[in-house]
Amino acid sequence: MDLDFCLDREAAFSFTCNVCGRCCAGKIIMAGPHEILGMSRVLGIGTTEFLSLYTDNGGTTLRSEVAGPCVFLTPSGCRVHPRRPLVCRLYPLGRSTDERGEERFALFPAQPECEAIVGRDGTVGSFLESQGVGPYLGWSRRYGELYRRMMGLLDRLGIEGKIDAPVAAAPAEAARAGSGSAGSGQEPDRAPLSSWQNIDASLDEYCAAKGLAVPAEIDEAIALHLRAIEDWLDDLESRLGEVRNNPKEASEL
Amino acid sequence: MGKQEDRKTVSRRDVLKLAGTAAAFCASFGFLHGSQVGGVVQDKHIQEGKHLQARWQQAEIKWYKGSELLYSAPFPSKVLKHLQSDEAATVEIKLFRTGKLLKNLGTIESKF
Repeated sequence: MDLDFCLDREAAFSFTCNVCGRCCAGKIIMAGPHEILGMSRVLGIGTTEFLSLYTDNGGTTLRSEVAGPCVFLTPSGCRVHPRRPLVCRLYPLGRSTDERGEERFALFPAQPECEAIVGRDGTVGSFLESQGVGPYLGWSRRYGELYRRMMGLLDRLGIEGKIDAPVAAAPAEAARAGSGSAGSGQEPDRAPLSSWQNIDASLDEYCAAKGLAVPAEIDEAIALHLRAIEDWLDDLESRLGEVRNNPKEASEL
Repeated sequence: MGKQEDRKTVSRRDVLKLAGTAAAFCASFGFLHGSQVGGVVQDKHIQEGKHLQARWQQAEIKWYKGSELLYSAPFPSKVLKHLQSDEAATVEIKLFRTGKLLKNLGTIESKF
């Protein structure tokens, strides 16, 4: 399905959901670490348990049966609605940003037998506000900045095809080195791709090392998670400073 | 850990964690270089269809000894372009000795 990202925030748009739940089936719902933290708190569990019970594809999407409903859909609605992910808040819109950060929106075709009403009584902007997407877009932008730093580091390392041995340590990442490969002894799509996806575990380790109290509030925990990743990247960048422009050397380290 | 920091080096563990985290963020946010299509719920049938056909960008050859991963290397670019060019594209791997076919190891299909 090709979506036409032709709408901006001023475009006429309104959406009245009648909670039929039909749009919550047969979808791939992406979830970032901050969204996993929020949903886990709604359920009263930790992110380790959440990742294990409710995610697939290396902890990047919510679990659901093929063509079946989202794991959180119940007869009375969404179990994690107060902290539902960004993509659920945006639906039936999709959002795309280009390399300059300019955003555009697309409207999904109506779900068969969906009871919602799509109209032109408001704007895309007013719909986004009603769905509380603001903080989620802000966090997404911050994680995006970190992602670009990671890609920059990987470019500097020039590692493509040069990791030539399995590693006993760092089980999550090491298990993924052979992406979908043989012999890891665990279901390939169930283990998180990175330990950073598990905010509770990451912050336990970070706060213990820094002598900090683990934040109880979700927003504070997300902010500290971003800071912890920044610190990690700062450290990697400082260590890479000595091997800059020498990818062969870096790959041998 | 302390020893590595003293040497000012980046360990394989760091590199793997870096690559794993970048992959996780790419998948869970939809980041792709400077752009993002992360705010899109996808219909599941897309994952098995033509859409992904156009999106895959890299293929790797992996050497195993039993279940142990020994080495990874990217596909030669010619082969990659061929597989990306058409859903019906295939690549066969055959073993020869002095021009004589010894064994056909199998066919790689680009179709999902």
